[in-house]
Amino acid sequence: MAYFIELLVNGALVGLMYALAALGFVLIYKSAGVPNLAQGALVMMAAFLVWYLGSLGLPIWIAILAGAALMFGFGLLVERLLLRRMVGQPVIMVVMLTLGMEILLRGLIPGVFGASPKSIDLGIGLAPVIVADVFMNRAYLIGGLVALLLIGASMLFFRTRLGTKLRAVSDDHVASWAVGLSVERAIGLSWGIAGIAAVGAGVLWGSVQGVDWTLSTLLFPAIAVVILGGIDSIKGVLVGGLAVGILGSVIPGYLDAYAGGSTRDVVTSVIILLTILVRPHGIFGREDIERI
Amino acid sequence: MTILKRIGQPAALALGLAGAAGGAAAQDKEPIKFGLLQDFTAVYTFVTGEYNQGQQDYLTLVNEEGGVDGHMIEAIVRDTGNEPQRGIEAYNRAREEGAILFDFLSTPVSRGLVDQVMKDEVVLITPLHGRGDAAAGETFPYVFPTMATYWSQAAILADQIKSSDGLEGKKIAVVHIDSPFGREPMPVLEKIAEVEGFEIRAFPYASPGNEQSATWSEVRRYRPDVVFIWGAGGGQSVSVQQAIRNGIDPAAIRSVVWMAETDANNVGADAMVGLKRFEATATGTDNPILERIVEKVIEPGLGAGDSSNVGSSYYNIGVATMTVAVEAARLALEREGAPLTGPKLKAGFEMIEGFDAEGLMPPITITATDHQGGGYGRVSEWTGSEWKPVSDWTTAYEDIVHEEIETSAATYAGGN
Repeated sequence: MAYFIELLVNGALVGLMYALAALGFVLIYKSAGVPNLAQGALVMMAAFLVWYLGSLGLPIWIAILAGAALMFGFGLLVERLLLRRMVGQPVIMVVMLTLGMEILLRGLIPGVFGASPKSIDLGIGLAPVIVADVFMNRAYLIGGLVALLLIGASMLFFRTRLGTKLRAVSDDHVASWAVGLSVERAIGLSWGIAGIAAVGAGVLWGSVQGVDWTLSTLLFPAIAVVILGGIDSIKGVLVGGLAVGILGSVIPGYLDAYAGGSTRDVVTSVIILLTILVRPHGIFGREDIERI
Repeated sequence: MTILKRIGQPAALALGLAGAAGGAAAQDKEPIKFGLLQDFTAVYTFVTGEYNQGQQDYLTLVNEEGGVDGHMIEAIVRDTGNEPQRGIEAYNRAREEGAILFDFLSTPVSRGLVDQVMKDEVVLITPLHGRGDAAAGETFPYVFPTMATYWSQAAILADQIKSSDGLEGKKIAVVHIDSPFGREPMPVLEKIAEVEGFEIRAFPYASPGNEQSATWSEVRRYRPDVVFIWGAGGGQSVSVQQAIRNGIDPAAIRSVVWMAETDANNVGADAMVGLKRFEATATGTDNPILERIVEKVIEPGLGAGDSSNVGSSYYNIGVATMTVAVEAARLALEREGAPLTGPKLKAGFEMIEGFDAEGLMPPITITATDHQGGGYGRVSEWTGSEWKPVSDWTTAYEDIVHEEIETSAATYAGGN
C-alpha cells in the first residue's frame, strides 16, 4: 500500500509540474485562440536565460525575476514580429509557425549558450521527505506547490478586467476590434504571460534534471495535459496534469516489471488517443472549439 | 561551446596550419583530412562540445609540432544533428573534400554509415558509441571502436565490484534508459551473474530520463546492494539524484562512461561523493600531451573552445581518440608511404601496439581481428572535486565479452 501511495503522491507532484509546462499553452489558446507548439522550447529557453543570468553573478531569485521580465518581453516580440504578420491566415499556418519556432529555438538556444548541461541550484536538498514509509521527492513537492500557486494566480487573472478582455479577444477577434479592444496587444500580452509561466516550468524542471535541450521534450506531456483537461481551461490544466502525472507513475510502477521496458510514454500516448476518441474537447474544454 | 566560439574554430585551425606550415617541406605535402561530423545540436550535446574541442586542440598541437611526417591534419567539423540523413549528406561532402577518416560520435549516424564506409574503404572510428560488434575486425574491416565497448565497460565495472566487495549473493539493479544503448550491457551482465552467482534485475526509464521517480521507488523496494546506471546527459544526474532521494548511497552506484564533472555539478559535487564510473582515459592536465596542448595551443590562443574544459573527462576522451588516429596515420605513412589513403590508414590502425598516448589512456593493441584495442579501462571514484582511479587499467571477463562480439557480428554478417 505504501508503494501505491508513493507512486500516487510523486505522480501527482510530477503532474503538477507538467501542468506548469502546459499552463503557457492554455494561456495562449485561451487568449489568442492559437495552439502554441513552441511552449516546450520556451520552457527550455527560459531555463537557459535564468542559468545565464545566474552565471553573471546575480542571486538566483533576482535571476528568476529578470528571466521572467525577459521572457515576457520575448513573448511581446513574438507577437509583434511574427504573429501580427499572420493575421487573416488559416490557423494551420499559425500552428506551423509555432512548430517552426520550436525547432529553431531548440537548435539556436543551446548554440548560443552552449549545449552542455547547466545546473540551476535552488537550494533544495536531496534528502527525501518521508511520511509513514512514503518517500516524497522534495524538489517535486516544492515544484508542485509553486505550480499550484501559479495555476491559481492564472485562474484569478482571467477573472480580472484584463483577463476578461483576453477571453473576449479569444472568442472573436473581429467583434473585439469592433468594440475597441486591441487584439494585437491582447495576443502579445498572452504570449508574454506564457513566457513567465515558461520561466516557472523551466527553472523547476531545470533544477531537477539540469538545463539542456531535453527540457523542450516537456511539450509531449504538456500536450497530453491540455488535451485531457481541455485546451482552453486552466482548471483543466490542473486536473489534466494530476491525471497524466498519476497515471504515468502508477501504471508503469506496476507494469514495467512485466513489460520489459518503460511504459510511461505509452500511457501518455493512450491518454491522448482515448481523450480524442471519447471526449475530443477534453474534460473541461468548450465544445465549440474550432478543430483543425 | 557557443556558436560564436564554434565559428572561430576553422580560423584557429587555419592559424595552426599556417604556423606549422612554415617549412617548405610541409607546404609540399598533402594535408590529411579527418571528418569530425558530429551531433552539436540534438541528443549528444552533453558530450560533443568538449569531446570535439579536445579532438581539434590535439590536431592543432600536432600541426604546431610539424604535422605527421610533414603532413598537416585538417579537421572537417560539421553538425549532423544526430540524424542519419544529415550524416550521410555530411559524409558525402567530406568524402568529396578528401576525408579518409570519420568520427560521427552518434550511434544512429555511425550505424547508418557502416556499410558505406566499408564500401568506400575509408576509416570510421566509433569510440564509446556505435556497434559493439564492430570490434570484430574481420566482419567490420574499416570500423574501429578503439576504446572499450559497452560490453567491456559492464565487465570491468562488475570486476571492480568483485575485487572490492565480492559479487556472490549480491543483488544488482541496472537502471537504464529504455533504448538499445541502455539495454546493451544486460546480456553480458546476465552471463557474468550466472558465473559469479549474483542476482540482477533491469529497471528501464523512459527517454530522455528527465522524470524517473516511479522507477526509483521500485528500485528502492528491490533493496539492491549495487546499482548500475546506464544513461547519458541529463538523465544521468536525475538518476543519481533519485538514488540519493531513495536512500541509496552514491558509493553503491556504478556508472557507464557517460558521467562527468557536469553531472556532478548538477547533482551537487559533495552529494555525489563515492560514486564510481567506468573511465576510458585519465582526466586532468597532468599528462605530457595535455601539458603541450596548454603550452602550444591554449596559451597562444589557438584553442577551439572554452579553456576551462581542458582536462575534463570528455575533453580528454576527444584528445585520446585523435592520438590513436594520428598514431595510425604516422604508422601508415612510415610503413606504406604517401599519399595516405583509406586502406593505408586502416593498415596503420592495425599496426598499433601497446599505444597509451603517453599515459593518457590504457595501452591498446589493435589487430586485424580486434578493433577494440583490447577493451581496456578502469574505474574511478568522484571525490567531491575530481575523479580518482580506484582500479588499474584492465580488461575483464574477456571470454564473455568476446562471445557477445562474435555472436552479434555473425548476425550482422548473416544479414549482409
